[in-house]
Amino acid sequence: MSRDLDIKVHHLTRVEGHGNIVVNMKDGVLEKAHLSIVEPPRFFEAMLKGRSFHEAAIITSRICGICSLGHQLTSLVTTEDALGLEVSEQTVLLRKLLVHGATLQSNILHAYFLAAPDFLNVGSVFPLIATHKDVVLRALRMKRLANDIGDIVSGRAVHPITPVPGGFSRIPEKAELLEIKRRLLEEGLPDGLETIETMKALAGAIPQFERETEYISLKHPDEYALYQGDIFSSDSGATPVSNYLDVTNEFVVNHSTSKHAKYNRSSYFVGALARWNNNHAQLGEEALAAAEAMGLKPNCHNPYMNTIAQVVEAVHCILDSVRIIDRLIELGLKNEKPNQTPTRYGRGIGSNEVPRGILFHDYTYDNKGNIIKANCIIPTGQNLANIDDDMMKLVPEIINKSKAEITLNLEMLVRAYDPCISCSVHMLEVDFIE
Amino acid sequence: MAALTVIGIGSRLRGDDAIGPMLIDKLSSLPNSKIELVDAGSDALGILEFLQEREHVIIVDACRMGRKPGSIVEMDPSQIDMILKDDPISLHGLGLAESIKMAQSLNMLPEDLKIIGIEPESIQFNGSLSTPVQRALKMAVDIVEDKLNRVSQVAEA
Repeated sequence: MSRDLDIKVHHLTRVEGHGNIVVNMKDGVLEKAHLSIVEPPRFFEAMLKGRSFHEAAIITSRICGICSLGHQLTSLVTTEDALGLEVSEQTVLLRKLLVHGATLQSNILHAYFLAAPDFLNVGSVFPLIATHKDVVLRALRMKRLANDIGDIVSGRAVHPITPVPGGFSRIPEKAELLEIKRRLLEEGLPDGLETIETMKALAGAIPQFERETEYISLKHPDEYALYQGDIFSSDSGATPVSNYLDVTNEFVVNHSTSKHAKYNRSSYFVGALARWNNNHAQLGEEALAAAEAMGLKPNCHNPYMNTIAQVVEAVHCILDSVRIIDRLIELGLKNEKPNQTPTRYGRGIGSNEVPRGILFHDYTYDNKGNIIKANCIIPTGQNLANIDDDMMKLVPEIINKSKAEITLNLEMLVRAYDPCISCSVHMLEVDFIE
Repeated sequence: MAALTVIGIGSRLRGDDAIGPMLIDKLSSLPNSKIELVDAGSDALGILEFLQEREHVIIVDACRMGRKPGSIVEMDPSQIDMILKDDPISLHGLGLAESIKMAQSLNMLPEDLKIIGIEPESIQFNGSLSTPVQRALKMAVDIVEDKLNRVSQVAEA
């Protein structure tokens, strides 16, 4: 069909930060379909320069109110790599518990407050408060439980304070952990199972769109990777985190103040769907059952299903948190002091899976323990090229729909990636041109 | 339970947007255990649990209101639509205005909630508090102490 289409969505709502969607079709030829990021870059790297190894994680945790824990833990493992600081099994377990809390919180908020209004086509979460109050309250209850995990383990949920290089400055009490375990089983799990039912009911509204791409996430030999591991590409397999620059290949595009990334193809996908595709076999049976119930299959190429993968992970995080607490108690909580005696100074590279995908920090320290060079590569930045490639395939497929429907489909696509432009730069808007 | 809850919102890395957390720092250095202090960072939705089961709550945030930098405006939730429209500072899908609106719809708002908006001069990254906002910080401390006195008097009477 020969058609002109001009879409401009300014300030796309319900994403963390601001960006624009711009689509331009002339005489049936798609000239432009992309997500344009218009925010000024944040220069975290400059903020880190000259800072001591005690400060780096505190500063990075404040990059973004939504992703603070992910930045903090990645900063810590990076510093530990650079300074040769070994950490104990207890430290690793406590950190994994924190990761689960943060992943649970972020995935639940995205699924309920940012994606569900799209599936129900109600514009925002507010109409749902009147019609589905119990569901909104459930979402808030789950957020609070996730928050409380953070509070107990890290001292403060929004900007964690007890995780420090080499360990924790305070170890939670056994009774606190047991209370969290009780709540995970008595509140978290039933709420998680109800969430699956809710999402199952909404899954019919998820657009049917497929585009096979490269999926990149961490991979861990023993578990569904969220904390450390090797980089894994669905195209080319595993490579150590120290090779991250060969994977991310950041490049500049005119329509975005945030850099784009590509590896084996013109773009790649990071986030819950990439983790699911690469590591689903390492999930427990409850999470796998949740995926099946909601129609998420291995090797899923529908980006809109990222939200469903997030809900599967929420179930995993609830149950795996219980397992971690059991293990911590079995080991016996030790009041250990963090190991802060560097055995070397130099470059360190760290990576974790944060809710929106794989995150890299890379610091070089001088021999006084101060940062002389820093690089942070954020998941949303890595997804931008993939979002553009999706749009180029999607627009021609749905071109016979009304402009309003096309716009909604594109907005939903961007929101499915749960982008945090707050992190990658900070804002997003959408533009249609006709 | 504390007589008064004060919630500071904002990013410490963004110049005058740090006013909320800085006020919390300032109040925590004063000898007073009657105030519950919450540094909510830039996670506005996180304030919900601090609104429930409280009587008196003050929220402090940088707000673009088109006034002189450092101007302080006290608002109550009935003025929230005005804030919703005027909330460009919030970086997130769910900003302060949306979070308050949500709490309102869920009947979670305390009986007495005041929002103290402070007009920023600059919210550039890596900036420090501007001079007018530093002055506003001192005034905001007075507003909180004044409020505490009034709340305590009512409680004693």
